[in-house]
Amino acid sequence: MTGRVEDLLRECAPQVLGALVRRHRQFDLCEDAVQEALLAAAQQWPGEGVPQNPHGWLVAVGHRRVIDAVRSERASRAREERLALLEPPPAQAPDTDDTLTLLGLCCHPALSPPSRIALTLRAVGGLTTAEIAGAFLVPEATMAQRISRARKTLRGREFDTPGDVSHVLYLMFNEGYTASGGDELARVDLSTEAIRLTRMLPPTPETTGLLALMLLTDARRPARTDAAGDLVPLAEQDRALWDAAKIAEGTALVERAIASGPLGPYQLQAAIAALHAEPGETDWRQIVGLYELLDRIAPSPVVTLNRAVALAELRGPDAGLDLLRDLDLPGHRLPAVRAHLHERAGRREQAEADYRLAASLTRSLPERRYLERRAKHTREWR
Amino acid sequence: MKYLLMIYDNPETRAVFFGEEGAPLMAEMDAIMAELKESGELVDTAALADPASTKVVRSGGVVTDGPLAEAKEHFGGYLIVDVESEERALEIAARWPKVHTPMEVRPLLGEGGEM
Repeated sequence: MTGRVEDLLRECAPQVLGALVRRHRQFDLCEDAVQEALLAAAQQWPGEGVPQNPHGWLVAVGHRRVIDAVRSERASRAREERLALLEPPPAQAPDTDDTLTLLGLCCHPALSPPSRIALTLRAVGGLTTAEIAGAFLVPEATMAQRISRARKTLRGREFDTPGDVSHVLYLMFNEGYTASGGDELARVDLSTEAIRLTRMLPPTPETTGLLALMLLTDARRPARTDAAGDLVPLAEQDRALWDAAKIAEGTALVERAIASGPLGPYQLQAAIAALHAEPGETDWRQIVGLYELLDRIAPSPVVTLNRAVALAELRGPDAGLDLLRDLDLPGHRLPAVRAHLHERAGRREQAEADYRLAASLTRSLPERRYLERRAKHTREWR
Repeated sequence: MKYLLMIYDNPETRAVFFGEEGAPLMAEMDAIMAELKESGELVDTAALADPASTKVVRSGGVVTDGPLAEAKEHFGGYLIVDVESEERALEIAARWPKVHTPMEVRPLLGEGGEM
């Protein structure tokens, strides 16, 4: 019973918050009110039974709390203003999806990207501040302040400029996907959370493509690190460890997305990930074609870098290196790819130098270990 | 992205900061610190005691007095910030009151990996 109530409350929370925020605008007051309503429900429902309309019950209780908060705030500020009698919002879920409204607000462009992710996890994902702080490896007080400032920033904001929710969920996924190591088991998994939230988005070709991309990428996670916790590159991963169910779902989704409408960057990346997940020989010709398309519709140095890797598989390492000659991409990735291609071309000295350069530039401990290992390997086999 | 902001000082700058004329500088630091706390960017911070109280421990457990290097400047304190970009970390460092000694801004290695 208690578990069921908890699940129900977690499911209802973003809708209730969305309904209150749409009505009252004051994001911070509304969020506090929802917390109080959830607490009241958690205390009352297990004993008295779940009400007929749990969503309506929570909205009504939350609404009263907002009114109380506004009233006491006004009373303490100045007594000149008489509180207009506010009608409670309709108890039934209205035609607009409140969860989506809330998602749009949490991803508001006035907030910094890390704040957008944190607030989305808190308000829509229903995670505690401690859980979010743990996921980002910062102290709870730091995260509490970040969320508190984000809430204040949203006070009275209109909904006419909803943020790029897909992009925020994409960043959330990557944050989780790249955060391996540490006391991983004790941490909330941001990738799983991002997938759960992406499933809530209305299915356009691009949001479907994004979901497919996440599933296909996440499917490879069990094979990404070996028993010692070291990174294993895609080509050396044990495919038997890939999650077949996620690959099947992701592949079906990307096929549906591409068939249904205008092509976009998420669909293209998902299509590439799907080709990588296919059994047997990798179809590099198709992958190169997709990267060329991606580099045309959403050009970026990282896409060019990936295109060079694919091209090298198709036409040899020097074709890839040619493409990289004028690429301007700070950080470790460019020298790491260059090192790999020099190694494949048999130029071990250049490979070693580039592996060492990449190792000195990375900000990731597992990557550093991997790159040092490759550098040592090229030296020993020279 | 997390950065370590390393504050360097020497006996003269220490004397200034912890003396009477240091009060406005301290106030400036407090203001920046309060701002970083409020924005949720401050992860940790500390000021270090005088270099004279440093002990050096070498392999084999040999302990000696004094800092490792005979340098003019010593590591005097730090801030760890979690910020959106390197530009933001540099901006914080630029605003930090400095008497004569510079500050170092250095990224932290993380456990994550992109592969």
